[in-house]
Amino acid sequence: MKKFTVLLVLVGLIAGLALTAFAKDGVEFMDSDKMLVNTVKYYKPAPWKIGFSNASISNSWRVFLQAHLQYEASIHPEIAEFFITDGQDNPTKQLADVEDLLAKGIDLLIIAPATDAALNPAVEKAMDKGVPVVVVDRKVTTEAYVTYIGSSDFQMGKIMADWLVEKLNKKGNVVCLSGVAGASPAEERLKGALDTFKKYPDIKVLEQQYCDWSPVVGKQVMATFIQKYPQIDGIWADSALQGCGAIEAVQEAGLPIPPVTGEDMNRYLKMWKQMKFDGVAVSFPSWQGQIAVQKAIDVLSGIPVPRNIDVPRLVITTDTLDKWVKMDQPDEYFMDSRLPEKWLPKR
Amino acid sequence: MRFTGCCGGFFTRIDMITGTKEKGTHGFEVQEFVTRYGIFLVLVVLLVIAGLISPVFYRSANIANILQQASVLGIISLGQTIVILAGGIDLSVASIVATSCVFAAAIMAGKNSMVLPVALFCLLLGLLSGWLNGVIVTRRNAPPFIVTLGTALIMQGIRFVYTKGAPFGTIPSWLRVLGRGRLTFIPVSVIVFLSLAVIVALFLRRSPYGRKIYAVGDNRTAAFFSGVDVNRVVLSTYVLSGLLSAFGGLILAGYLGFGDNWAGKGYELDSIAAVVVGGTSLVGGYGSVGGTVIGVLLMTVVFNLVLLAGLPYQAQLIAKGLIIAVAVAFYSYIGKTE
Repeated sequence: MKKFTVLLVLVGLIAGLALTAFAKDGVEFMDSDKMLVNTVKYYKPAPWKIGFSNASISNSWRVFLQAHLQYEASIHPEIAEFFITDGQDNPTKQLADVEDLLAKGIDLLIIAPATDAALNPAVEKAMDKGVPVVVVDRKVTTEAYVTYIGSSDFQMGKIMADWLVEKLNKKGNVVCLSGVAGASPAEERLKGALDTFKKYPDIKVLEQQYCDWSPVVGKQVMATFIQKYPQIDGIWADSALQGCGAIEAVQEAGLPIPPVTGEDMNRYLKMWKQMKFDGVAVSFPSWQGQIAVQKAIDVLSGIPVPRNIDVPRLVITTDTLDKWVKMDQPDEYFMDSRLPEKWLPKR
Repeated sequence: MRFTGCCGGFFTRIDMITGTKEKGTHGFEVQEFVTRYGIFLVLVVLLVIAGLISPVFYRSANIANILQQASVLGIISLGQTIVILAGGIDLSVASIVATSCVFAAAIMAGKNSMVLPVALFCLLLGLLSGWLNGVIVTRRNAPPFIVTLGTALIMQGIRFVYTKGAPFGTIPSWLRVLGRGRLTFIPVSVIVFLSLAVIVALFLRRSPYGRKIYAVGDNRTAAFFSGVDVNRVVLSTYVLSGLLSAFGGLILAGYLGFGDNWAGKGYELDSIAAVVVGGTSLVGGYGSVGGTVIGVLLMTVVFNLVLLAGLPYQAQLIAKGLIIAVAVAFYSYIGKTE
């Protein structure tokens, strides 16, 4: 009897393992390191129907991301239909969006998840149904996807910090202004920055605060920092949103603007050019949306795709500033863009 | 029917019909004192603690910063006070602020000649959304919570359609004076806020219309049978709130210097919190502008203190939440024993 129980448990375990292996191995790899995904089984003759489930278009970066997808989809006649849904930053809404897209009979799903874990069921369901999934921007935590296209937030934060350390000659007082507490881009960028700062004993991080990616909060926090700390030599801001607010605060206090980090947002570039401070812009490329569509086409054509793609960042320095800043264009344009003129979001 | 009004000297309780002050027993007076000045005492205690925690707190530049940061929330909270006094609630304020801010930057485009017409346009926009709130709430007898949430979404949609998600333009120097200018060391926005607070307080206390607002909030049916045009009064409170929010948006635009799609994010709840902390009853009919001003200062001082003490962001949320919870518990306790 005892033996039988042990056998039963063993069989159960093996079956369980086999099942999980099966569930995970919806994805077939070309190599043992799981770097390259075999997509032959997703091959379908064109024309295709592709669905894009966007987390939201609540900020200008997301508008640019979506525009890149739309633009790329428009130049490929083999994509007959391209559906877009707006999750309004709400995972529950986005789950329903994916259901709708699947009901429309899409051949492939591109998803930019609102939060990482919450969209797992949607992605798994699509893969179970044999609809390959391309994830872009933020990650999902399940293994059930074909390829992930993003740009490392860790690297972005680190590159900004490296630049700041160099500008300060490895010595000085720094304040860190982050985005939203708990949001993965904010936390990853901060990790990258602290990874650099901790290597330099003479770089002192006076304080780190979250500013909700809001210029208003950025300005308020910086105004208080200025009162609190007599000597601030550098500002590390994970985004130009609160960064621009912080620059405003320093200017209003009548102080010289210390080296301050930012991204490729035109407002920051304009301020940089007008106020002539030391700046650096590290982009979080919105054209990863374009790559997502290109990879989607590869998947449906049965061409192998990398499991993870890190889209490289553009680094703008004072030397290259003039090339990227556009004084006559809207503040919230992201300049590391591949959109032709007529695809730019306009009034 | 009683109501509480306020101007220079804070909370005065007046009998609506006779206009005379109430006289109570000794014990009642102590309780009255606590109700009237409790929130004021809390602020004083907080200010003392603040000085102990950080020597920076009492620097004139820091005080000016706090007052400047309080003024936009303050102006919005004035509108919220009026709405809540009449028994309503307005969740559309933050969205009106952001829309006003975005339109100001986009259409003024840095030109001083455009300040006046565009400011009027933004105020009109605020007025219209307030009117929309009021009309749906009164004509259709709909819950203000949902109606104003809907208006918030409409305003959000309007600014997104207009800007395609990417705000543009800059704020001309004249409007910037309003948002970040200083008279010696007193921020202009604070002078604007306090002047508005006095006007609203006088309006609520001295004008017959203000008394009607209290009457409607206290007992809608009784007010109706006393000949008050209840719907018109309620409608007007939303219009005033919309107008004040749009004005707050203009000042915030002046503070910021550019348009931001989410400027004023969180102000809907912050303003309600400030009003409640200030002792205004959420069911309406009881409360004062003076309390709201103190409530706004309290919230802003806490924000400043958390930063000065170097506490993490989470501490700010906890502190804010505690203040609201304690205030509500306090007022409900007083209400029960009264």
